[in-house]
Amino acid sequence: MSQFFEYKDTIKEGDLVLAWLSRDNLKPITVKAGEVFNTRYGAFSHSDMIGKPFGSQIAIRTKGSNRFGFIHVLQPTPELWSISLPHRTQIVYTPDSSYIMQRMECNPRSRVIEAGTGSGSFSHAFARSAGHLFSYEFHEVRYEQAKQEFKEHGLLEAGNTTITHRDVCKDGFEIKNGDTTSHEFRGPEETKVELNADCIFLDLPAPWDAIPNLTSVISKEKKVNLCCFSPCIEQVDKTLEALEEEGWQDVQTVEIQGRQYEARRQMVRRLDDAIERLRDVKRRKHEGVEKRQKNVEQTSNNGSSVEATESDKDLKHTEKTHFNPFGKGSRVKEGDSNFEWTQVSKVELEIKSHTSFLTFASKIIDRTRDEEQTKAYLATFKDEGSKLSKREQRRLKAQANKDIQKE
Amino acid sequence: MTKHSGIDPLTQISPNQHVLIRLPSDNLKIVELKANAIVSLGKFGAFRVNDIIGYRFGTTFDIVYDGVEEEFVKGTQTMIGKISVLENRLKASSPALENSSENNRGLINLGSVVQEMSMAEIEAMKREAASGDAIISKMIESHKSFHQKTVHSQEKYLKRKKQKFAKFFTVEYLDSSGLLHYLIEKGDVLRVMDISQESLGMALNLANINSNGQYLCIDETGGLIVYAMLERMFAGDSNSKAKGKIVVVHENEHPNLDLLKFSSYSDNFIQRHVKTISVLDFFEPAKEADIKSLFKPLSAEEINDLKSNKKSAYFRRLKWYQNQLSNIEVAASSFDGLLVASTLYLPTLIPRLGEKIHGSRPIVCYSQYKEPLLELSHSLYENLNYLAPSLLETRCRPYQTVRGKLHPLMTMKGGGGYLMWCHRVLPAAEPKLNEETLERSDVKNSDVEGDEDAHNLDQEEQVIKRRKPNEENEKL
Repeated sequence: MSQFFEYKDTIKEGDLVLAWLSRDNLKPITVKAGEVFNTRYGAFSHSDMIGKPFGSQIAIRTKGSNRFGFIHVLQPTPELWSISLPHRTQIVYTPDSSYIMQRMECNPRSRVIEAGTGSGSFSHAFARSAGHLFSYEFHEVRYEQAKQEFKEHGLLEAGNTTITHRDVCKDGFEIKNGDTTSHEFRGPEETKVELNADCIFLDLPAPWDAIPNLTSVISKEKKVNLCCFSPCIEQVDKTLEALEEEGWQDVQTVEIQGRQYEARRQMVRRLDDAIERLRDVKRRKHEGVEKRQKNVEQTSNNGSSVEATESDKDLKHTEKTHFNPFGKGSRVKEGDSNFEWTQVSKVELEIKSHTSFLTFASKIIDRTRDEEQTKAYLATFKDEGSKLSKREQRRLKAQANKDIQKE
Repeated sequence: MTKHSGIDPLTQISPNQHVLIRLPSDNLKIVELKANAIVSLGKFGAFRVNDIIGYRFGTTFDIVYDGVEEEFVKGTQTMIGKISVLENRLKASSPALENSSENNRGLINLGSVVQEMSMAEIEAMKREAASGDAIISKMIESHKSFHQKTVHSQEKYLKRKKQKFAKFFTVEYLDSSGLLHYLIEKGDVLRVMDISQESLGMALNLANINSNGQYLCIDETGGLIVYAMLERMFAGDSNSKAKGKIVVVHENEHPNLDLLKFSSYSDNFIQRHVKTISVLDFFEPAKEADIKSLFKPLSAEEINDLKSNKKSAYFRRLKWYQNQLSNIEVAASSFDGLLVASTLYLPTLIPRLGEKIHGSRPIVCYSQYKEPLLELSHSLYENLNYLAPSLLETRCRPYQTVRGKLHPLMTMKGGGGYLMWCHRVLPAAEPKLNEETLERSDVKNSDVEGDEDAHNLDQEEQVIKRRKPNEENEKL
């Protein structure tokens, strides 16, 4: 079983773990006793991780200061992997991939075609849910990298993923003995792989060149769903043309917009406090004027200066913070318990305003039924009711009356 | 359901299953197919179930009346027709368009005068059971200004008429998305907590649902979430070998998983893979000894000796006993993920459920509104058992997908809900000092209490950092 899809409790030597440093900084590491994982927050020894449960927080004391640095060590999942993976190409993010899987009814009976593999982000999500994944990559270096990665992650070993080096636009999807592929042929008698695919995902610059090649590899047994992933609307237009020519139906293009929010706090600043602050400013202005007048009077009267210094002292006692909770200039930390806060959600600083257009379509190759077989099958239901139930009859009657009234 | 004589109920239309029927108006209908029965689609006509058995899901059929005996659905005016397979939903009952205008300059709104066919004539045609195709052709013929319309508006006109007079329908497998669309269209938006297909799909992926996981779930949608999980895990296949299990915690005495009645799983399969337990039994399980003191299972021989009336009473009690024991077991186990769609107050609910989740496993909470999840996120920031709660939103914007006329839909349903996603983690109880720092602290006359203070301080600092996720770890 793959270390991606088999739930594990404790970290063992050789395991792949994702070290969570922060929300957008996850690092894959393969645990090996004696090795050290260096971060800008400190060095974490792999030995400290071995034997700990997955999900553990690993804390260390950093050199030079009396502080702790920490990371969390997580078991990889396709979603976490898509945040952490080394990009070889632009990747498909979770809002898109999860919608595509849901809409194409991806499940353990699905046989999926994915082209191209790219960075393998979507491959992991497909491999988790599908019966079998056939992934194609036309770039040789990326093919080798992906194959190596799939092998390390146990996707190939688990037996439900096959990766093939192929330009699917030119050479189609069939996998034959002798092709550059991860599929291991059982000797010369096995000449080709039965793909029988019912779930197609094309993330290619020119999917319209690949669509005609699908005919020979898609399932004849069931409805086939397809999704093309293209960033430009001109690509969508060409895809629609190809889909129509090839007899694909129920064609629809959609866009998925994902947003992430941070839970933050905004300081509660009341009107009364603002009024109070202005009142204070006014009072002090007033006091200043009085003081100046007094000083003028005193200098003209040549009186003692002791009284004046006393009133100066009084002024310094004004408590600003009590009615001036505005934090301006004093850098109040968000959530400071001396102040009141309201909960707010803040959208991420940079949003992915466009990933790609998703064009869906479906196809049924075989629109016939085996009459003999069906007849024989239905004979086994011979004795079952041949009319509508009483309840159904009543419902229909009511419905019909309603229809008539409407018209 | 088992495979009978080569007909696969998961890819082919077969009896004793619920299917989704898409009408010409694009309205959806769930129909239970009974062998030898008749299905009426109201004004769209009626057909015999046996005529569609064995075809693949997704096939579009037309109801035709050519040469059929006049037979009506009992008590209605709906005539039962024959079935013919259509190649394409799009092309169904669309006469070829010809003679169209470049623009609508010559088009004057004369109201109903342009249509020479009267309502009575149309009704008569319908009664004569002419095909939808024929009616529409006739209407075009007698439409005076049809040829003054542009191609686009001719298409629009046809689409409208088709929705009214066509008699075709498409039979689809009832997957979770189809069920959701059916419920939304039926007006049950509130019941499904306004969840959208994209939010449902994202919840399944974020929660890392796979065939062999043990998941904890609260589902206030009447079973839609559980339905979707089952489909993702087992694909409707009661013969699946996968070991996955869903434990559904419910707040009333009995769970509401009503929607599972539409699923194709055997009762036995559902019993094995879906376990329901009330919040009381889950959080305050009975003591095993108490249960055992109330009931003792008999040996096989003793059961044989029981009289029939006592036997049934015994089995009733045995069922109770086994259920109690399994409740205790469930309450003590830990899970591979938590998926919640509940209107209970989340800041107190999620941490208590979270205690039962393994380290490193995802927690996903769906809500119709953002604010309850905001409150939840704030409360989880302060709890070191949860890593980086995130508030997520996903929205789908469909396009009018016609070449040359591509644009997003002008109006669509709002809403769709929000997700909170985080991971269950295990805070470091007593941070280990590495050797270097040990040496240093030795030199500095290490003081245990002082160390503990430093630790506590640090924990506080972590709390603050968690509050500001963008500054996580920054200060170290």
